[in-house]
Amino acid sequence: MADEIRRLSDDLARDPSSLVFLPLADALRRAGQLDIALRVALRGLDRHPYLADAHDVLARIHADRGDVERAADEWEMALRLDPSHAQASLGLGFVDFRRGDFESAERRLSSSAADGQNPAVAAALAHVRFARGSQAANVGNTASNGVRANGAHTMVAEAMPAEVSMPSPPDAIVSRRPAEPSVSSDVRAPSTTAPFAIREYPAPDPTRARQLFVPALEGPDQTALLVDADGLVLAGSYQDATGHDVADIVAAELAGVSSEAERAMRHLGLGAWTSLLVEADAAVVAMTPAPLGSLLVVAASRQTPVGLVRLLLDRALGRARDWLARVS
Amino acid sequence: MNKTPYAELLSMLSRHRGVVGSFVVSERDGLSIDSNVQIGVQADAVAALAASLHRKARLACGAAGCGTVTFLRLDAERGGICAAGRDDLVLVTISEARANIGLLRVEMMRAARALT
Repeated sequence: MADEIRRLSDDLARDPSSLVFLPLADALRRAGQLDIALRVALRGLDRHPYLADAHDVLARIHADRGDVERAADEWEMALRLDPSHAQASLGLGFVDFRRGDFESAERRLSSSAADGQNPAVAAALAHVRFARGSQAANVGNTASNGVRANGAHTMVAEAMPAEVSMPSPPDAIVSRRPAEPSVSSDVRAPSTTAPFAIREYPAPDPTRARQLFVPALEGPDQTALLVDADGLVLAGSYQDATGHDVADIVAAELAGVSSEAERAMRHLGLGAWTSLLVEADAAVVAMTPAPLGSLLVVAASRQTPVGLVRLLLDRALGRARDWLARVS
Repeated sequence: MNKTPYAELLSMLSRHRGVVGSFVVSERDGLSIDSNVQIGVQADAVAALAASLHRKARLACGAAGCGTVTFLRLDAERGGICAAGRDDLVLVTISEARANIGLLRVEMMRAARALT
């Protein structure tokens, strides 16, 4: 393992823009060097923000760190970028499983197992179905036997532990899953600690902030940016046609747009402003007021239908609201 | 009073359904050059704000490499503002929610090309 990491590190040093960061981050993760793995993955994502595999490897690292919410975010990103990404689908299946949402877990794993090629996925699916059966059996029994009902959940939580962190989800299932749940595990008292901790108010992560809107967008010709009232970038990115990030200068130029739009509408008595759409030679840019006096900007190539740009704006606004509520 | 070269153009835009005012404004200083507005519309203040918004959009688009701004539309709960510019001049209309923005947009972009 150490040799492999050394070799991959050398390869990445020789060509930092290559995709070697993917196996390197995963090897570091498997070796338990999670902080370094995270740095490598984030650096890779900076260069390849629309690569589904990169989001997948970052998701596994987050899962190993116990941050299942972020892992789920990254797997969702991967699926948006590549709806056929089997590992991401499987990862989300595990997340659903850990959350106790067996129905969704079964649905995701069923779609992954549909081709019948992967026996490990089939085994995972069988386990999910078993857990669903246990859950159903416990319905109605809860009032008289809370230990048993919670015990089933504990069994599930312990059955799917750190294997959301896996070289690949199916491998982990095979290696970590007990063959048959024992009676003793089924009646075990409920754990007093959550199987994984979710930080309610995580500190803003600069790289994550830059990629906040990727899941809401449809392709690399679209970009979104959240700007505060002073014209400073809060989240998102804005790349020009040459790939340079011009977010700061765009944000600065847009400082005060929100207040001017508000004043114009006040003079006219037309109510609160809802959106500002700018058509230019090469792009359509849409803006809308966001919480805390911020301004959300979505841009797309000129070929993008204007109606779709407004739809993207609504989607991105949902993410901006959630994010601001968490970090503010 | 002498008519400006834009009087006919503004009159034509103001006849659109839901349009309550139209004017030509200098983007540089926000001063209205000519206007055709219904009584009660604060043309001067709105002209200055519309010019400022157009300027900000133009500068932001320039910084982002999006090229020249051809049309701008500010929507509000009960209406909005449309703007189309050429060089320093910006053609602005104020409309209520019932206006046909698609038609207005086509007319304004055509008219803006003739602004001098």
